[in-house]
Amino acid sequence: MARKMLVDEEMNQTNQEEAHYDFDLFVIGAGSGGVRAARFSANYGAKVGICELPFHPISSEVIGGVGGTCVIRGCVPKKILVYGAAFGSELEDARNYGWELNEKLDFNWKKLLHKKTDEIIRLNGIYKRLLSNAGVKLFEGEGKIVGPNEVEVTQLDGTKLSYSAKHILIATGSRAHRPPIPGQELGITSDEALSLEDLPKHAVVLGGGYIAVEFASIWRGLGANVDLFFRKELPLRGFDDEMRAVVARNLERRGINLHPQTNLTELIKTDNGIKVTTDHGEELIADVVLFATGRLPNSKRLNLEAVGVELDNTGAVKVDEYSRTSIPSVWAVGDVTNRMNLTPVALMEGTCFAKTVFGKEPSKPDYSHVPCAVFSIPPLSVVGLSEEQAIEQANGDVLVFTSTFNPMKNTVSGRQEKTVMKLVVDAETDKVLGASMCGPDAPEIMQGIAVALQCGATKAQFDSTVGIHPSAAEEFVTMRSVSRRITCRGKPKTNL
Amino acid sequence: MATTSFTAPKLSSPTFQTLCRNLPLSLPIPKTLSSFSFHLSPFLSRFHLHHHHPTPRFHPRRLFAVRAESENGAEPLRHYDFDLFTIGAGSGGVRASRFAANFGASVAVCELPFSTISSETTGGVGGTCVLRGCVPKKLMVYASKYSHEFDESNGFGWKYDTEPKHDWSTLMANKNAELQRLTGIYKNILNKAGVTLIEGRGKVVDPHTVDVDGKLYTARHILISVGGRPFIPDIPGSEYAIDSDAALDLPSKPEKVAIVGGGYIALEFAGIFNGLTSEVHVFIRQKKVLRGFDEEIRDFVGEQMALRGIQFHTEESPQAIVKSADGSLSLKTNKGTIEGFSHIMFATGRRPNTKNLGLESVGVKINKNGAIEVDEYSRTTVPSIWAVGDVTDRINLTPVALMEGAALAKTLFQNEPTKPDYRAVPSAVFSQPPIGQVGLTEEQARKEYGDIDVYTANFRPLKATLSGLPDRVFMKLIVCAKTNKVIGLHMCGEDSAEIAQGFAVAVKAGLTKADFDATVGIHPTSAEEFVTMRTPTRKIRQSSESQGNMGHEAKTAAGV
Repeated sequence: MARKMLVDEEMNQTNQEEAHYDFDLFVIGAGSGGVRAARFSANYGAKVGICELPFHPISSEVIGGVGGTCVIRGCVPKKILVYGAAFGSELEDARNYGWELNEKLDFNWKKLLHKKTDEIIRLNGIYKRLLSNAGVKLFEGEGKIVGPNEVEVTQLDGTKLSYSAKHILIATGSRAHRPPIPGQELGITSDEALSLEDLPKHAVVLGGGYIAVEFASIWRGLGANVDLFFRKELPLRGFDDEMRAVVARNLERRGINLHPQTNLTELIKTDNGIKVTTDHGEELIADVVLFATGRLPNSKRLNLEAVGVELDNTGAVKVDEYSRTSIPSVWAVGDVTNRMNLTPVALMEGTCFAKTVFGKEPSKPDYSHVPCAVFSIPPLSVVGLSEEQAIEQANGDVLVFTSTFNPMKNTVSGRQEKTVMKLVVDAETDKVLGASMCGPDAPEIMQGIAVALQCGATKAQFDSTVGIHPSAAEEFVTMRSVSRRITCRGKPKTNL
Repeated sequence: MATTSFTAPKLSSPTFQTLCRNLPLSLPIPKTLSSFSFHLSPFLSRFHLHHHHPTPRFHPRRLFAVRAESENGAEPLRHYDFDLFTIGAGSGGVRASRFAANFGASVAVCELPFSTISSETTGGVGGTCVLRGCVPKKLMVYASKYSHEFDESNGFGWKYDTEPKHDWSTLMANKNAELQRLTGIYKNILNKAGVTLIEGRGKVVDPHTVDVDGKLYTARHILISVGGRPFIPDIPGSEYAIDSDAALDLPSKPEKVAIVGGGYIALEFAGIFNGLTSEVHVFIRQKKVLRGFDEEIRDFVGEQMALRGIQFHTEESPQAIVKSADGSLSLKTNKGTIEGFSHIMFATGRRPNTKNLGLESVGVKINKNGAIEVDEYSRTTVPSIWAVGDVTDRINLTPVALMEGAALAKTLFQNEPTKPDYRAVPSAVFSQPPIGQVGLTEEQARKEYGDIDVYTANFRPLKATLSGLPDRVFMKLIVCAKTNKVIGLHMCGEDSAEIAQGFAVAVKAGLTKADFDATVGIHPTSAEEFVTMRTPTRKIRQSSESQGNMGHEAKTAAGV
């Protein structure tokens, strides 16, 4: 049977075989990964169908929208709010540059929200057009797997459509999850946080991940009081410890109340707002409580287990290196596989899938050196290994270069906030293993650094690059002195 | 506050001491590295940097075996006051002096007294970059950019009951306070490195002797790093014009300003004054701004600046300036006369500060532009005399002067002949929007490589979709068709300067388009466009005159 043969062999079975299926590929979920895979597969000549739930900013089992999390409930609306919020401090900084502004500036939340919604509706339209331009057939409704080569789409009016497909791709993403504490229904997730009717006056955020930190920054930037609760000593577990401390310090200096090693135990509705109780016995009143406590894969209502697609214990679809599930004709990309939950990674997975299945070129996504950014204010961006990871993986010594400086803009504005940059280098090979930065423009700066790391650039190659003056980024090519050398296990030390 | 002494007038600052008599020069700022790395282990070099030897007064020639076989080896035992005497404490001079001292040399540097305006008798430690270039310019850019940000913020829900007004004197005071702080820092840096700082005008008397205001100092090596100064062409009324020195320190806001010139300085000031709500007219000789830059970038930046309200007068050269009775200025050009300017600024180039340095008399050769001729190691025609930075008119950028200074210190005092490497030097123009670039322009690439693939993106950034402003971003990659190497990268749009730096590392390292493609994007950023350009906009082939290609995916090696 074709299915047992190599992927590219399969492709050679051509027309006769294709005739058995309504589609070469049917994709469930039109987010970043699904749209990319669908378009690219269609470009390779495949006949592609895709289904997606109806559009709405707040997702649910039956609500979604073409564009997916990134466009409708993630990266894009979040970044728009970050832009909006960053003006708060920008405008303060203007005063020392000679600008005379009203003591109190007006900010109209409804206007921003309205424009944000307009923009995501526009993008939703663009994504639909991308699909139709690529010749992909879009169905609105809830998709489900009926057999290894059979999908069923329940349309809005309840009618069901059934299609056969040679390959099925699950790209249904993930959704925010709420912790099981009493009163959890009084809290909101990031979906609602992006569409709140009113700007909170006092927000409580639970979670230490990037979503928690970003919303804390957004609301604080727009003038709210914000309390941020998280389990660890520092926010952003998994990032470089030194940079985590920098982010924590910046958040605090900008007026966010940090509550490390603290959890919420109960929410109670009162006349003054939501009463929040912590596991330290503290109580406070908030008008908004955000749970940014993680996201879970959207794998429940797809009928996956019934057809034999294996899930892991978090509900993520298990896949091999080519994104193939335990059923050979069923594949999965993006957050539903819970590998590295980032839009550009889902795009990469979608691209590799299309290449593997329809491009006659088996391609594995490469997860090394994936850069990422946290759009806190100011932002953090990293690529490669953290210092801790580098030490963990090193055979020889690790050199750490850091630069902490007052950005030039602050010299006049008077803002007390240092930018911190860091390079982690393998002492023996001179390869730069990791780069991080926390400060204005960090995500924009890190992209080019990521290209260099992707190709194994050495510290010497960084050093040989001339700086762009005056910029913040030039610090990355002018770090002359080692801040510390960490001798890692096993190997003999060299003497520095 | 010390700042008051600065704000208004040009020269002067009672609080400041003095230095030598030279001219300012190029640029400083944070530490840079550069030239090292290629040849030797970077660790080795860093190691040396931090090693402070006790400084012997006499440096036996071993210190510089390199090129030492030449003339000055003639008197091996001659005693000098210093191993190195540097004239000019700008970016290149300070860098060379510090590093030389760190390598164990005894070093003196002379510099003119501080003033925000440079002249034959004024300069200041820090040089052009810190006092009259990069730094104050960038501060003014920050200040002026706010008017655009106010407009943007409207689209994001922010409102101003009254239009924000700008107070010029606050900006000047705060800017000058910062310059004062920086010049202090530079002195400190020299002091800490053990470099002797002498205030006054230095002049070369013979191959091993410098005269500073009448006092003679001998040195094994002399370094000329006196930089450049703005040049105003001699037309009738040119005495009414200002240059960039003055433009950075005006006592009040120019209401209506003419800027003559189409280079980066002209564009940067056009953006500054426009943002600070002056009426700005730019007069350029050619059809386009920024000669030497990529043609598409030239078009793009001109359009974007015009959209922000700057009026360009192309192919219009100034012929005279006339001052009218009411004090306003008129600019007469080949096309007519435009009246009512409060200020006319010339950004018509800079000239090396080589006059009255005694150079010709000791045999240092100067080219027809007044720049000192040097070899690849920055050595002049007199073997004991060296020159770095703008005075040599190679690539006039702070980080390049730093590279030259560092290379020279290594060549002379670390037994490590080092040539500055001018390949893939990135640079930025802090126009509004700014430009960042590294490597070749399309025109250069075509000439040099023949077959190239050009990738472009021209898009409205996320911020502009909300603000409703007509801001766009233009990006361009130029790829050698044969090797797949990225040989040029250009961008105009917000954050271009910051974005270009990381890519400069990649371009300098000789990375390919496939390497770019294999890099995952950072979403949502503008910079990610550089790693997601899948289809060439055009393929240029020597044989068959180019052709746009929209066909198949260029190798998207993502993840393979």
